[in-house]
Formats: sequence, C-alpha cells, structure tokens
Amino acid sequence: MRIPVLTNLLEESDALAATNRQTFEAAGVFVVNLMSSPGAGKTTLLAKTIDLLQSRGLRCAVLEGDITSTLDSERLAPLGVPVVQANTEPFGGDCHVGSHFVRAAIEQLPIHELDYLFIENIGNLVCPAEFYLGEHRKVVVLSLPEGEDKPVKYPLMFRECQACLLNKLDLLPYLDVSVPLLRERISTVNGDMIVFPVSAKTGIGLGTWIEWLEHGRQELQARHVGARHDVS
Amino acid sequence: MHELYLARCIISGVHKALADETKGQDVTDVRLRVGKLDAVVTETLTFLFNAIKSDGGLPNAGLTIEEEDVRCVCDDCAQKFTVAQPVFLCPACRSAHVTIVQGRGLTIVDITTTLEEPDHADPCIN
Repeated sequence: MRIPVLTNLLEESDALAATNRQTFEAAGVFVVNLMSSPGAGKTTLLAKTIDLLQSRGLRCAVLEGDITSTLDSERLAPLGVPVVQANTEPFGGDCHVGSHFVRAAIEQLPIHELDYLFIENIGNLVCPAEFYLGEHRKVVVLSLPEGEDKPVKYPLMFRECQACLLNKLDLLPYLDVSVPLLRERISTVNGDMIVFPVSAKTGIGLGTWIEWLEHGRQELQARHVGARHDVS
Repeated sequence: MHELYLARCIISGVHKALADETKGQDVTDVRLRVGKLDAVVTETLTFLFNAIKSDGGLPNAGLTIEEEDVRCVCDDCAQKFTVAQPVFLCPACRSAHVTIVQGRGLTIVDITTTLEEPDHADPCIN
C-alpha cells in the first residue's frame, strides 16, 4: 500500500525557526545569520561590527557556532557582549547551526535587553544555506582570496542570502582576483544581492554595512512599536 | 555533512506519517523529492539512510530519491524557464530579478508498505 505524505522534510526545524522568529519580533531584536567558508573573516568582521554598533549605544549578543572549540568565543570576549557557544559535537558533528541551537541560545540570553543577535554559523558554504533559523537576514562573507568562482559553485548560499560582504579588500593589490567579475557572478546567481566590499581588518567599507544593518533594525523597531500600539 | 541530519529527518518524518497500526518494519520504500538547488548528495543520503534505518525502526525501507529541476519565473517579463546551470538570468529579457518556483526544498512524497489497500467496496452492494 502506498501512503501519500507530501510533507516538508524540514518541517520540525522550520516550525522551531518560526517560533524563534516570533520571539525575536516580540523582543524587538534584529537577528543576522552570518555564513561563509572557514577563514573568510567572520569573527574579525563580527568583532568590528559589534564595536561600531556599541559605539552607537546598541546592545549586541552572539551565538557562536562551531563544530568544536571555544576559540572564536574567546576572541569576542574582550567586547563584553553575551556570547553563547554552540558546539555541534566535539569530534565532528553537524555542519550547520540548527534552529534548536538558536532556541537554546534564546533561553540563555537577555533577549529583551538586546538590539542585535548575530549568529556566527559554522564555516561552510554548503550546509548552513539549507536551514532557516528564524533570522531576519542571511549574510554571506566571501573573502577575496577565495576567488571569483564561489558564487557559481555554491548557488544555494548566494541565492538564500540578502547581502554579501566581500572581505579582505586590503589584500586586493596582492591577488589575481577581479572585483567587477566577482560582482557580475554574484549578480548572475542573485540579482537582488546587496554587495559590500569591506576590510574587517582596516575598517574600509564597514560604514555602509552598519547603515544597512541599522536600516533593517529600524524597520523591525517600527513594526515592534506598531504592534505594541495595536495591543494598547 | 547535512545528509546525516536529513537521513534522521526522513526516519522521524516517516514515523510521524504512519498510522498507529502500521509498524516501521512494514515500510518497504520512502519516496523523497529533492530540489536540485538544495545541494544534497543523493548517493551520500542513500548510503547514510541505509546505515541508520535499522536503528531508526525502518529495517526494510528503501529510499527512492527523485531530483526536481530548478524552475524560475522572471519578475519583469513573467517568462518561465528551467535553470540548468547556476545562472539565474531570464533567457527572454536577461533580467536578474527572478523567483524560484520549483527545485528548492525536500519533500517526503509517499511511503510504501507491505500492508494491503483497505477495501473501499460499498458494503451495501452485494
């Protein structure tokens, strides 16, 4: 006997992600899922981003996803922001942060006292793209030494994300990589992608990235305030 | 290696879909539809499903995977087209603003079991 099912394989994961999103909306915290290959500069970028947001009086927290180790959390510790470390398994587990890790982080964080939560996903251009976590924005960090071929080789990642940070711009004079060609290839995969050429090391280009984040957060704040007025 | 996670999801999805009287050991096949954009390595998924299915209570289940082409519709001229290479440009007007309408997502389509079809014959008709 054949039993028709027609259910989304990731139904449970997506349902939990939707619950996460409701929590973020209710708390008015803007959530960014940061993804890249290993070594693209996510942690350095995150440290600089948080520093810039803190200078505006904004409150940030981080969910640090890694298969193993607490090295990235230790790098972020001097910023003094809440950091929840999620290790999928000490000796090689899931290759992505799942919505259940985000749910667990929510329980550990002062979620109602935050403006931003950054999810630093596990370094991997394939698997993390598959999973919705409840975030407001998905962002991919692509460092210039990785070359111009990555958007075409990892189309799901570049289709799923709303923004791409082209990091390590300070290395451009030493590389055989063309930023216009890279932009063209990103555009052929995702014509709506917003591209920010940046150097997390020197700070070049981070101003426009911060403005983009703030625009998203302020939209959320407007919804948040509107919802509170509707209730009252 | 998200195929292992997906293999676990298949097993839990099948148990959730089965009626109470149906046992996992009755399942002979699970048909899964996989969008080509999802970057699933089907051979790896099949291998891992077979490796864990007995522990997951589906010892006799096979896995049939159907890959689904990526299809888009152009946001500017409404042209529908299939994406064979990862180039999401409208072939008619070259617009990069396109929406994916097929080929993204993972669906358990149906489950085959050893149980017989229920008799739907009208008991009033002899």
